[in-house]
Amino acid sequence: MSATAPPHLPSLRVFHLCLLAWLASPAPAAHAYTFATPPPPELSVSTTNAGQIRVDWTLYPAVDTYRLWQSQSPGGPYSQVPWVTGGSGTVINSLAPSAFYRLEASPLDANSLLASTLLRRIAYGPTPDELERVRRIGPGAYLSEQLAPEAISEDLPHNRLSPTDGWIHVTATGTGSGSTLYLYLAEAGEGYIDDIQLVAGTVPEVGRNLVLNGDFELPLTATDWIVASNHLDSAVVTDVRHAGNGSLHVVATAGGTTRASAIVQDLTPALTSTATYTLSYWWLPSKTYPAPFSARLSGSGITSSPGTIRDLLEAGTGNINDLRAFHLLNAIHSRKQLLEVLLQFLDNHFVTQYSKTADHLDGQYPDNGEQYVAAQLEYRELQRWREALLNPKCTFLDLLKVSAESPAMIIYLDTVGSKGNGSNIANENYARELLELFTFGVDNGYDQRDIEEMSRIWTGWTIRFVAPGQESNPFATKSTVLKPGAPAGTTAVTDLFGTWSSVYNPAVHSTAAKNLFFTHDATGSQTEPKTYPGRFGPGYAGKPYSLTVPGRAGTNGLSEAYLVLAHLANQPFTQEFISVKLCRLLVHEEFRHGTYDYSAPDPSPEAALVKSCMDAWDSTEPKGQIRTVLRTILESDIFRGHGASGHKVKTPLEFVVSAVRALLSTGPTGMPTAVADGYFLRTPIRRAGNMDLFNRAEPDGFPEAGSPWISAGTLAERLRFVQAYLMPTSYPVKSGDAGATAADPVALVQVRLQAAQQRDTGAVADLVLDLLFAGEGRGNLEGYRQLAVNFLNTADDGITSSPFAGLTTTGSPSAYEIRLRGLVAMLLTTPRFQEQ
Amino acid sequence: MNNSFLPNRREFLGRSLGLGALTALSTLTDFPLVMRQALAQSGLGQNGRKLIFIFLRGGNDSLNSVLPIEDDAYAASRPVIGIAKDPALDYSATGPADFPVSGGTKATFDYTYGIRTGNGFAALHPGLKFLAPVYNAGELALIHRVGYPHQSRSHFDSQNFWETGNPNNNLSRDGIFYRTILESGLANTSPLTGVSFQSSLPMILRGSKAAMTNLSDTGRYNLFGIPNTTAGNNKADATLRAAMGIPFPDKRDRDFLRLQYENLSNTLAIFASLNFSEAGNTYTDSENTDGDSEAYNLFPTAAPKNGGYTLHNNDASRFVVPAGSYDFFNRLKAAAIVLNKTDAVIAGTSLDGFDTHSNQGAATGSHANLMKTIGWAMYGLRRYFTKYGDKASWQNVTVVTLSEFGRTSIQNSDGGTDHAEAGVMFAAGGAIKGHGRSNSGHGVFGMSPADKFNGVAIPWTTGTTKAGSMFAQGGRYLKRAVDYRSVLGELIRDHLGATQAQLNRIIPGYVDPAENLRAGGICGIDTARIFGEVDLV
Repeated sequence: MSATAPPHLPSLRVFHLCLLAWLASPAPAAHAYTFATPPPPELSVSTTNAGQIRVDWTLYPAVDTYRLWQSQSPGGPYSQVPWVTGGSGTVINSLAPSAFYRLEASPLDANSLLASTLLRRIAYGPTPDELERVRRIGPGAYLSEQLAPEAISEDLPHNRLSPTDGWIHVTATGTGSGSTLYLYLAEAGEGYIDDIQLVAGTVPEVGRNLVLNGDFELPLTATDWIVASNHLDSAVVTDVRHAGNGSLHVVATAGGTTRASAIVQDLTPALTSTATYTLSYWWLPSKTYPAPFSARLSGSGITSSPGTIRDLLEAGTGNINDLRAFHLLNAIHSRKQLLEVLLQFLDNHFVTQYSKTADHLDGQYPDNGEQYVAAQLEYRELQRWREALLNPKCTFLDLLKVSAESPAMIIYLDTVGSKGNGSNIANENYARELLELFTFGVDNGYDQRDIEEMSRIWTGWTIRFVAPGQESNPFATKSTVLKPGAPAGTTAVTDLFGTWSSVYNPAVHSTAAKNLFFTHDATGSQTEPKTYPGRFGPGYAGKPYSLTVPGRAGTNGLSEAYLVLAHLANQPFTQEFISVKLCRLLVHEEFRHGTYDYSAPDPSPEAALVKSCMDAWDSTEPKGQIRTVLRTILESDIFRGHGASGHKVKTPLEFVVSAVRALLSTGPTGMPTAVADGYFLRTPIRRAGNMDLFNRAEPDGFPEAGSPWISAGTLAERLRFVQAYLMPTSYPVKSGDAGATAADPVALVQVRLQAAQQRDTGAVADLVLDLLFAGEGRGNLEGYRQLAVNFLNTADDGITSSPFAGLTTTGSPSAYEIRLRGLVAMLLTTPRFQEQ
Repeated sequence: MNNSFLPNRREFLGRSLGLGALTALSTLTDFPLVMRQALAQSGLGQNGRKLIFIFLRGGNDSLNSVLPIEDDAYAASRPVIGIAKDPALDYSATGPADFPVSGGTKATFDYTYGIRTGNGFAALHPGLKFLAPVYNAGELALIHRVGYPHQSRSHFDSQNFWETGNPNNNLSRDGIFYRTILESGLANTSPLTGVSFQSSLPMILRGSKAAMTNLSDTGRYNLFGIPNTTAGNNKADATLRAAMGIPFPDKRDRDFLRLQYENLSNTLAIFASLNFSEAGNTYTDSENTDGDSEAYNLFPTAAPKNGGYTLHNNDASRFVVPAGSYDFFNRLKAAAIVLNKTDAVIAGTSLDGFDTHSNQGAATGSHANLMKTIGWAMYGLRRYFTKYGDKASWQNVTVVTLSEFGRTSIQNSDGGTDHAEAGVMFAAGGAIKGHGRSNSGHGVFGMSPADKFNGVAIPWTTGTTKAGSMFAQGGRYLKRAVDYRSVLGELIRDHLGATQAQLNRIIPGYVDPAENLRAGGICGIDTARIFGEVDLV
């Protein structure tokens, strides 16, 4: 490869560019330019105003080091040009006025690049530990692990801990098995408890309270509470309380269970072992140092713990913010990262809107009870997809059925009230989006007539409050199972046991035949079946794909919809559209449906990959197995080479979650180096472009592409969040922008660097750059590195020398800590951290 | 970019400079001086004229906005949601529009009948009452039967088509007002040109060659540093600015990101100087409104600023707009302030909630609330730019609404309407030629049995069969008589000052003689008859 001298520099004889040690030979592609195989760097030589020779080159993706060589003759010998101005593509001095130059670009090794790309696509960004682990086990092993989430076992902290968004009221009824009450944390941590009451009977807080100083209005004394050594830091505090003037701040240095390791009260008089008692209290978990809490009677006649977020959601008593916290904490902490990425993808592909469900049920519940139902319907949808994806042979049809049967969808796209009987005109909303957004993709193999025909298929699909055990019965009638004390004959859902489920109502179903995918003449009369276009190749071209569904009366009408779903799920239009969407998720956003000609001899890399996905889709039995399609994408050249890494902009969700994960490790004391405030994080995500999780108004879902998310205002929100995230908790503006979400970069540096390196600006900068921008290659990060070193070594004016090595580490926060926090925050605000 | 000619700047530059297109990845910021001078000679963007757009998202039910009340098919098709005639009035009479003053001194929307426009045929939804004063001043055009060839009934396609100005082209990736700004030559010389106030930058202002600005929250437009002191914030800011200039290998979104970061830098100071605060929202009507004893706030952003609320012991029935619209008016106010106080040329926002598939209501209800919001928005903007005009007076401002499609002529079984085809556009401004100033003498374009523009007569015909205008498209939908590009094109050329050559690049359809966007006639794309431009300004 060579470049000729620019005509305006005649004094230089010839310039020669040679690239050594390429990662992959940049084979000339017929389609001139693609990002999968970028062109080699271009060298250019010029003379500066000062008369110096200057060599510039364009940067190449994922380069570890650049070296420049010069020689007086093309055959060499070449000598390396001493490094002077850094690696961002410019060298000025030490250059001979007339010479041949060679640029040597050593690539990042392929496994490191692929590890980084995988962690940015099938995970919500790398954590320090995962980055290390994936580099160690290799990207292939990581990919296989992530494609089989059912084999990953994990114990997520938020599945053991209670929700952190406020005081939780806990009650438990049992027998008086013993007369000692134990309060304890099962692990080191902290929390607050207030207003403990133990009363006879089954009704909380009715009757005499048998606990002394259970409202913690007074300091603890030996006559009420006895504190074991592991809980010795516990004390009554007044700044946090549920009611009155104080609460008990429970602090444990180690987990407890019983008298020797708990906060204990011996109840007098003693309880009656055969009698029933009810314990109640208020619990406030710590956001920064949470641990599972228990209150227990000796003999365990009563044991009680505040429920976890999942408990609330399972019980239907969680609200939408509980669900958002659950979803976000899974995204941050779960080792099944691909599963979490796919769940978000599915929830967004088959989008439903929490607030529309709540509006639909409004008026049936007092005190906004419909909001809990609406949240539960979103949760059930998510859990059904989770269950489906854990099956190794999970198909697209399985996932489509979950969506079609979801009460949230039936409400969202207006099937719930659609009627096709008699002269009623069916609501077209679901039929349209089923084709346009969920299966075929817009303008891809259907027309308005198909939507009208299809809309009648779904008439009768509605929702109903059905009795316990009837959730899977599509013909279930409304529940009549009364709650205790409810008036006989009442039909109010608040008086009944049951669940909102999807049901089929034959009475409003359109029983005429439905003729899908036929052509029509000018008068609207049906003519021929529609046939596949030639672009799908000879296997499909010209073949019909119509479907005639005979009208069915009574409960048989339900089967029409399943016939249609099965027909749609594996059509080439669907294969194409879903493959394109997965490629946009995992590779880059410039994939299209409806346009590629798969029969053409020289497809673009994008078209070729979509075709491979469609072949993979067809290659299994049953067809459409998601894991096969995913593996096809993730093992493609375009993904493994330079076609994916850094080519996507993060959504607000991905940005916020990846920022937390980037610093999430375990510090020298065993504490995490980053803490996510699961209940707050929905706020920065929403602020950065209205990504209101589980509440998208438009059925196209949140954009996967970057450009809709990025503008001056949304960037301001992203930048404010990461700065606030890195602020010490003492800063007043922190909580408004990051809640309790926090990081401890000092602890991270302590576990990652030797003591001598912790004040070494180069070592610190390299560490942080690697954690944040691993796939970029050190050679391309030289500019950021210089910026980082300068940041660390200057005072707040950015000019005055203030060496990092000399900063004090005393004080809270210390000058050293502030400088380091400032550095990490600054690097998180850069354009490169917006990318995945 | 596979169709005729999109002003992709790279191609544009390539052609202008006589080079092959796509020779290299352009650096994209620096218009060569020769180009900048050439562009600056144009009046576009520099004639003092400004434009506000409001996108009505979801597909506004145009037949319940400006309604064909003299077409019996209207009432017959909409037994639940239809707006009735006032039995006391003759709707075939001509003259100015009615402005039904509320009983006593109570400015509300108690009037539940269709409001006569005075064109002898069409009526306004009663929620649009406050359009009447704008209409009667001759400063409002109600353009009906607006659409485009092969109308898509998909929200997303159709919104994209409206916003890109390229119907049926899914490859068009930049917005019609983005291209307008790019053609003006201001994109890279003025820090603030096109601005929107909504949750994210809309397609209409989106493009990869220059950064338009979107703000979702005007109160959160300052950045932090650590330490969070003036010096610490400045250090973070300066370091970030330095980081923005550091070269990296070319990747798909990197130029775009760099432009947006630069835009953020450039606009921080400008926005810091504007007062978007609630306390600063003191803009009031120039006269006592609707016979009440005081002037109302023009931008109702909270209950005390909503109609005569505080005048009348916090009576919510005195609201002029629904309480749910406060956020919209906050954004509309910000758009107005930015146009009025900066050099920005185009500003806009969106109003959601028009996808009324079920229970849309009639004179009251969800669609009626949206009508009240639009009516008061136009009324308020006119008063604002008349009374408070600084860099933009009402004479120089045009407000235009867009919506992706109209809705089915016949209501559905849920008391709602489904996606359909042609719809209605509202255009208001001091220079708009409406009632008393237009060629027809009326402010309603496209809903009259006498409709004829550019010699093309497409009269509104009545009746419940396909011969009736309400069912002219496929027996179900309103058929277009005006292309939305003819409306926007006329505004971009005759209001904002584009030359026809510039407009041809902004709206490529103008180049295609078969489209007939200017002169009207038979549209060669789908053989529909269209008016062409209807002479709005």
